[in-house]
Amino acid sequence: MTVKWIGKRMMMGIIVLFIVSFLSFFIMHAAPGDPAAAFYGGNAQTLNAAEKERISRVFSLDRPVIAQYGTWLAETMKGNLGVSYKEGRPVSTILMERLPNTLLLFGVTLFFIIIGSIWLGTTAGMKAGSLWDKGLSTASIVTSSIPAFWLGILFISFFAVKLGFLPSSGTGDIGGEGGFTDKLRYLLMPATVIVLTHVGIYARFLQESIKAESRNYYVTVARANGVAEQVIRKGILRNASIPYLNYIGMTIPSFVGGSIIVESLFSWSGLGQLTVKAVVTKDFPLLMGGILLTGLIVVLSLFVIDLITYSLNPRLRKGDVR
Amino acid sequence: MKSRKALTFWCTILGIIVVMTIFAGFLSSYEPNDMNLDEVYTSPGESHLLGTDHLGRDVFSRLLEGGKVTLTVASISVLVSLVIGVLYGGISGYVGGIVDTVMMRFLEALITIPSLIIILAFQAFMQGGMWSMALIIGVTGWLVTARIVRSEFIRLKDAEFVKMAIMFGTPMWRIIFGHMLRNSIPAIFVVTLFNFAGAIFIEVSLSFLGIGVPPAIPSWGNMLYYAQNDILIGAWWIGVFPGIMIFITILAINFIGEALKDPERRRLDA
Repeated sequence: MTVKWIGKRMMMGIIVLFIVSFLSFFIMHAAPGDPAAAFYGGNAQTLNAAEKERISRVFSLDRPVIAQYGTWLAETMKGNLGVSYKEGRPVSTILMERLPNTLLLFGVTLFFIIIGSIWLGTTAGMKAGSLWDKGLSTASIVTSSIPAFWLGILFISFFAVKLGFLPSSGTGDIGGEGGFTDKLRYLLMPATVIVLTHVGIYARFLQESIKAESRNYYVTVARANGVAEQVIRKGILRNASIPYLNYIGMTIPSFVGGSIIVESLFSWSGLGQLTVKAVVTKDFPLLMGGILLTGLIVVLSLFVIDLITYSLNPRLRKGDVR
Repeated sequence: MKSRKALTFWCTILGIIVVMTIFAGFLSSYEPNDMNLDEVYTSPGESHLLGTDHLGRDVFSRLLEGGKVTLTVASISVLVSLVIGVLYGGISGYVGGIVDTVMMRFLEALITIPSLIIILAFQAFMQGGMWSMALIIGVTGWLVTARIVRSEFIRLKDAEFVKMAIMFGTPMWRIIFGHMLRNSIPAIFVVTLFNFAGAIFIEVSLSFLGIGVPPAIPSWGNMLYYAQNDILIGAWWIGVFPGIMIFITILAINFIGEALKDPERRRLDA
C-alpha cells in the first residue's frame, strides 16, 4: 500500500516538473525577436541573411520546436543547463552557488513559522471565545495584509539606516571571514520579515481546525467518560494537524513566490534574487534554470509534507487512497 | 450584528479609496508626472501634502494616480481569471467523470507552480504596458476560482431543485446559468474578492522589482521601487504612504471577505 501511495505521489511530482519544464522552454521559445540576432546584441544589424542562417544552423535553431525541446530536456536531465548569457559560466554552477542561501532562508523561515503558528494556534484554539482566540483572528488578517517587502523597507529604514546595527542587504561582509555568525546577522532581517507576515495566517488556520475538531462528538464522549484532558488535547491536536499540514502544502508555492521578492529586496544572494536578475537582464538560460530549480524545490517540499501527512493519518495508511 | 457593522465599516473604507483614485484628477493640485527640480525631496508640508520625490513630483497626486493604475490592473486581471475559472470549473463540475478527473489532476499540477514564477518568465520578454500585465496576472490566477466553481457545481448537481428542473425538461443552458451558476455566486464572489487582493499583491510586488508596470506610469508598486533608495537618505514619506495605501486596501478586502465568508460557513455547518 505504502509503495503504491508513494509511487502515485511521485508520479504527480514528475508531471508537475514536466509542465514546469515545458512552460519554461516554450515561454523562452515564444520570446519575440530572433535568438541569433539577440545573441549578437547591439551588432545584430550588421549581420546579413546568410550569416543569420549560419548562426541558426550552428545553434540548431532551424530544427522543429519539439525536437529542440527534446534535446533541451535530455541535456537538462544530464545536468547541463547551458551557459549564462551574461556571466559566461555554466548555469548549473551558478545555481549551485545560490542554492544553499535559498535553502537556508527557506528552512529557517519555515521552521519558525511552523513552531510559531503551532504555539499560537494551539493556545488560541484550545480556549475558544477567549481574548487570545479573538485577538489572533484579527491579528492574523492584519499581518497577512502587510506586503512583506514593504515591511522590509520599513525595517531597513529603521534598523539599518536609523539605528545602524543591522546590515541593510547582502549575504555577508565583503571583507569578512564569512563565518556563521556573520551570515546570521544578514539573515536576521529577511527572515524576520517573512516570519512576521506569514506566521499569523498559518496560526489562524490551525486555530480554526482545532476549534472545528473540538466540536466533534468524540470529544464530548471522551470528556463525559472522564478521559484525562491531556489525552483529549493530544487527540484533537493530532487530528487537527492533518488539515494544517495540507494547508502548508497548498501555500508553499505562494510562500516561495513571496520569498523571491524579499530576497531581491535584501539582495540575499539566493535563487529568487538570481531569477529576478535574470528577468531584468534577459538572461534566458539562467532564467530557465532558476525556474526549474524553484519548481524542483517546491515539488520536493510538497513530497516531504505528503510523507508526514501519510505517517500521521491512519486513514491513508489503511488503504483509503484517493 | 457585530460582523455586519464591521462589514459596513470596511466597505466604506474601500469605497473611499476607490472613489478617491477614480477622481484623482480633481483631488490633486499637481499633475502626477510634473517634475519640479527646485523642490526635490520636500518633506510633507503645506505646499505638498505628502511631500515630493526625487524628481520633485507630488507624492499625493502620484498616490491617487498610482492607485488608479494598481486597482485597474487588479480589476481586469480578476475579471479575466473569473471568466477562465468559471468556464474551467463549470465544465469540470458539470460534465464529471473522466473529464473531471483529468481536468482536476491538471489543475492540481498547475497549482503547485508558484504563479509568480510564471509571471516572471512572461515578463522577461513581454515587458509591455499595464494591459499585458493585467492579462498575465489574470491568466495565472484562475485556479482557485475553478476549484470553487467545480465543487459548487458538483454540490448543486445533486440539489433537489436542479433535479426537479431536469425533470421538468428545462433547457440545459438555463439549468447551468439560471440555477447552478446563479446559486454559486456567493461562493464565487468571496473567492474573487480574495483574488483581487492577491492581484494587487502581485502587481505591487512586480512593479516593486522593476519588472511590472512600466516606470513612466505611476503605480503603488512603482513608487515603492524608487522608495528603496530614497529611504536610505531619509526620505521616508516616499515609501511609507504607498505602503499604507496598499496595506489598508488589502486589509479592507480581507475583512470584507472574512465577514462574507462567515455566514456561508455557518450555513454549511447547520
